[in-house]
Amino acid sequence: MKIRKELWFGLGFMALIVGGAIAMLVSVETVTNGHLGLLMLSLVVVAIMLGFPTAFTLMGMGMIFTWFAYERNTTHTLDLMVQSAYKTMSNDVLIAVPLFVFMGYLVERANLIETLFKSLHLAMARLPGALAVATLVTCTIFATATGIVGAVVTLMGLLALPAMLRAGYSIPLAAGAITAGGCLGILIPPSVLLIVYGATAGVSVVQLYAGAFFPGLMLASLYVLYVILVAKLKPAWAPPLSAADRVVPLPLLTQRTGATAQTHVLPKLIATLKGRRNADVPVGHLLRQLAIVALPGLLFALVAIISYRAVTTVDAAAQYDIQEIGASRTAVSEGGLAEPPASGGLEEPPSSDGGGLQEPPSESGALAAPPGATPDAAPPPSANASAPAPAAAAEASAAGTRPAPTWWWVVFAVLGAIVTLFYLFLSFARLEIFKMLLASFFPLMLLILSVLGSIVLGLATPTEAAAMGALGGFLLAAAYRRLTLGVLKESVFLTAKTSAMVCWLFVGSAIFSAAFALLGGQALVEEWVLGMNLSKVQFLVLSQVIIFLLGWPLEWTEIIVIFMPIFIPLLDNFGVDPLFFGLLVALNLQTAFLSPPVAMAAFYLKGVSPPHVTLNQIFLGMLPFMGIQVLAIVLLYIWPQIGLWLPQLLYK
Amino acid sequence: MQSFLLAIDRFSTWIGKTFAWCAVLLTLLISWEVFSRYALNTPHAWVLDAQIMLYGTLFMTAGAYTLSKNGHVRGDVLYGFFRPRTQAIFDLALYILFFLPGIVALTWAGWIYAGESLAIREQTFSADPLPLYPFKYIIPLAGVTLLIQGVAEIIRCVQCIQRGAWPSREDDVEEVDVAKLKEMVNVQDADIQALDAVVVAKEGAK
Repeated sequence: MKIRKELWFGLGFMALIVGGAIAMLVSVETVTNGHLGLLMLSLVVVAIMLGFPTAFTLMGMGMIFTWFAYERNTTHTLDLMVQSAYKTMSNDVLIAVPLFVFMGYLVERANLIETLFKSLHLAMARLPGALAVATLVTCTIFATATGIVGAVVTLMGLLALPAMLRAGYSIPLAAGAITAGGCLGILIPPSVLLIVYGATAGVSVVQLYAGAFFPGLMLASLYVLYVILVAKLKPAWAPPLSAADRVVPLPLLTQRTGATAQTHVLPKLIATLKGRRNADVPVGHLLRQLAIVALPGLLFALVAIISYRAVTTVDAAAQYDIQEIGASRTAVSEGGLAEPPASGGLEEPPSSDGGGLQEPPSESGALAAPPGATPDAAPPPSANASAPAPAAAAEASAAGTRPAPTWWWVVFAVLGAIVTLFYLFLSFARLEIFKMLLASFFPLMLLILSVLGSIVLGLATPTEAAAMGALGGFLLAAAYRRLTLGVLKESVFLTAKTSAMVCWLFVGSAIFSAAFALLGGQALVEEWVLGMNLSKVQFLVLSQVIIFLLGWPLEWTEIIVIFMPIFIPLLDNFGVDPLFFGLLVALNLQTAFLSPPVAMAAFYLKGVSPPHVTLNQIFLGMLPFMGIQVLAIVLLYIWPQIGLWLPQLLYK
Repeated sequence: MQSFLLAIDRFSTWIGKTFAWCAVLLTLLISWEVFSRYALNTPHAWVLDAQIMLYGTLFMTAGAYTLSKNGHVRGDVLYGFFRPRTQAIFDLALYILFFLPGIVALTWAGWIYAGESLAIREQTFSADPLPLYPFKYIIPLAGVTLLIQGVAEIIRCVQCIQRGAWPSREDDVEEVDVAKLKEMVNVQDADIQALDAVVVAKEGAK
């Protein structure tokens, strides 16, 4: 009986739309083409709700109405039809879609998620709600790299749900963390949703990526904060891990050295290596461990030196300009006082960043510095790891350089502190966790950050970065010995199907929106909205509410390709930045994935959870996370700089 | 009849899967071009056109393949609640009302469009031009395969209306294949059953 009720509700809803459209047609004195356009819009919503493939609904309906708009001129209609198809085929924004999708499938099949989850939850064992936090972080990273909501939620349902339930977590909290985390891939770039929005709205995908990065991160951290808060307030919902769950098994060879999990790594390894007291442990094993231990320090030293060179070296030609920018940023502007280069830079403690900045010559000082001055020799990396900041400071006095900006000092002081802490607290148990992270967390982060970084910094177009990302996914799958012909075939075929799904929708919507514009529906909508005399805030709230409601019966692809062309031209009237609007829409559509009763994520999770976990429990768990999403939208609205700061900084 | 329908499915799938390898070509082509441009300092003007063509071919030819696997986006808010016979009635009506006119028009217009391009041996607007007309012939090709597949789908609708159940389709790789994912992370159904006991105990304790 319940099913019937929902059917009646849906049919009633459709009748309401059609009735409204007919009432509108009857009420106006003269039926213009614009009214036909609105009729078309209401009919298309009805047709989509009937469940026919949306791409073909749009195509067929668009064509029929175009024919009317051209006053039954078949030739023009056919021309428009083929043009709209060709426009989609040669769209240089959408070309990134198959590539990112391909990358996602390959990364998914590299099967990193198991190690990723295990290493993260061991690494975070001390946090309250450790398992749920680890789940969220795993979901965020994995969803970002793959962008496939269903697969992420299913996999986490298989891995994290049992772990959390056995540890005594409450079912709603566990389910909420999985579903909410899995949906983040929609928002955090590189995501297909932003490409599709960019292609529809004519907003640069690069700016959208730069803009969505921090809101996505903010949403993820709000989730984590919420989970920690719940674990603090209601320990019964998220009990801390038992000691047995936190034990990290040490490899046999390491155990033979007599090390326990708490032993500090560095002295022990070196002592063992030197003394040769453990003849049954091969030196190779010890050296390998030592190499892994040294990795972060070396990496830090390398990055510090290279980036220091990059920020301080000044091209002869560009010297003047760069000087000015550097000067204004570091706020070092004490005129042209040519202070002598500080030779005691090496002795400076890291805390005296400000002092270090004053000493190197500023502005004209650097220009006037004698060209023959020899740069101080870079200290060995070992010294660099323990006292990084002053070591680099020694180079600042070289000719043709300028003082490193404050942000560089801050960043590297923080990084240096992290590396130092890492070495101070490195026990053998932590070394094992670090090795697991090295095998799962860092490759994914590297892939995501290099793809994103090259796009955002303008080194590559999104298409190029996507192709390199797909190649990276290829290599990742190969490195984990998962790349077989079967896996490749599956990924390729899935890519074809998913791209066809998205891009055929564009073919359909291209002709549909052309028909809508031809009929003058757009002008009518504009007139009507402007007639309501809305303020900017009212307009934004209204549009977001409409999009939220549409998210209930429709998928995000349909909402973007059908309704964005109607909303975007209105933005100008209210002075809303299409980029900002896109970020709001992306956050908003996230919510649609979690809103009962149509939330896909819940059904994926239900499909792999034990029979006694009910759909209602899952929905209950998703509600607080939905609340957080609404909060995130409000936060982004109040402080648009969360989203707009990065694009404005980079592309002013 | 069933074997005829499956034969059409296989034809569409074959076309879609063959051109699906464009995804790999596209990845390699762009990666090579990036390497060639930044490392070897020899950019190629034709690569931009070639990548557009690969992408266009990839998704256009996959249209019928996706249709044969029922993979195009549908609004299934109500559709899922319909009985199969109701679903088939609506589908049949909309195939005839929207799908056939749209795709026939696309195929026909595409054929003329590509023919005009062939007549002037159209090339891309670039320093190293590529012939453009083969790419434009992808439109009628995609249209014809979709049309054939559409006919198969219409027959399926009629069959469903007669029998009250959808005829079966051949399996294909799925985006979320639960059995495969379980195997990937080594989870057996028995584990989930064991977990169920935990859940029941927990609920009982409340």
